[in-house]
Amino acid sequence: MAKKPSMGRQKIKIEKIEVKNHLQVTFSKRRSGLFKKASELCTLCGVEIAIIVFSPAGKVFSFGHPNVESIIDRFLARISTAPNSHDPFHLIEAQRNASVRELNLQLGQILNEVEVERKRGEDLDNMRKTNESHYWWEAPVSKLGLEELEQLRDAMEELKKNVTHHANKLMNPSSMFVSNGAGIFDQYESKPSHGIVGSSNMNVAVNVNSNFGYCHGFF
Amino acid sequence: MTRKKVKLAFITNDSARKATFKKRKKGLMKKVSELSTLCGIDACAIVYSPYESLPELWPDGRGAHRVLAQFKSMPEMEQSKKMVNQESFISHRIAKAADQLKKLHKDNREKEISHLMYQCLTGKELQGLGVAELNDMGWLVDHNLKEIYKRIEGLKKPAAVVDGSVQRAALQQQWFTDQWMGNLSDGQQGVGGSFGHGGAGAGGGDEIIMQFNDGSNHAAMWSNVFFP
Repeated sequence: MAKKPSMGRQKIKIEKIEVKNHLQVTFSKRRSGLFKKASELCTLCGVEIAIIVFSPAGKVFSFGHPNVESIIDRFLARISTAPNSHDPFHLIEAQRNASVRELNLQLGQILNEVEVERKRGEDLDNMRKTNESHYWWEAPVSKLGLEELEQLRDAMEELKKNVTHHANKLMNPSSMFVSNGAGIFDQYESKPSHGIVGSSNMNVAVNVNSNFGYCHGFF
Repeated sequence: MTRKKVKLAFITNDSARKATFKKRKKGLMKKVSELSTLCGIDACAIVYSPYESLPELWPDGRGAHRVLAQFKSMPEMEQSKKMVNQESFISHRIAKAADQLKKLHKDNREKEISHLMYQCLTGKELQGLGVAELNDMGWLVDHNLKEIYKRIEGLKKPAAVVDGSVQRAALQQQWFTDQWMGNLSDGQQGVGGSFGHGGAGAGGGDEIIMQFNDGSNHAAMWSNVFFP
């Protein structure tokens, strides 16, 4: 399931792109990046901006803070100073600024979470790479020979039996004696990684919020 | 270029804010210009700030007026279709980031479970695992088994080249044994004895299969070899 790496940062000459497909992709990406920069400038420095961009296909994209029309009107009317802050719309603007602040906070938080997960993914990839070079059974199936495949198959079948056994034990505790001394229903009440004795044995940090639908995995 | 992480909030320090404004405004204008040139499209930017009485423009006054006239000549609906302000733009960014996060969670979960599966394959106790982990791992084991069976079938098919396949089998056995020997040389010499005389390949292979099928004991055997 490895993603093909992208080309990364390429330095390009600033002149009209000849290949139509490249042009369209570039437009899409750069327009998005441009609006992002404009949004950040507004947030960080509290300034008012309007950007208007025509696409290669002739459609028009625009970004404006507080909004595109008011900036255009202000520009065309050649009013250089900001609108009177005593007018009644000031309250609306204040509220809008508050919600933008709120949104930026939310955005910051979620971007942090994305970064954390991305780093985690990298670490997991590195660990896998190391393991793949040391243990033949961790290599991708396509790289294994017949003997190894048969070995692995038998090992996996065995593991499957064990996993099924343990899973059934946990899901039907009435058929098994619960040896940890806790009530049978304690295992149902608490989240799996807390309620099960010995879960601290796991040296893998596992996300408890995953959806464990029976037998359709997490794909 | 400095790569400090900047908080997405109004910069309260006046001089820092002014410095940031100058830099970023310059960068923004550069980006508009590049976009226009690279893609051969019309664009304009208008920036009002408390630092200047007049707005900063790109391309220039005439160019901006021209683009605005072009903009205003379009039907209202076309103008507003792709129009965004801070609120809608940031909301959209949040939604995209949320999707990205979901996908990363999923991918990382798969990687973790995969790692866990290999650990269990080589002796880690299943006893302490939760239902979620067991379910996901069970799924992954099934998934892998499917691939393995498919590949085994694929390899068993070419019965035509008899010589080649015999040679290949022998090579595989040898490679397989080498791998085992190689792994063992990492220090676990003590256990080498039980696998050691499988040097010819076939013998060693059978032994190891037996280890797997010996359910009660496999945890102990494996963990001695690979997890000191």
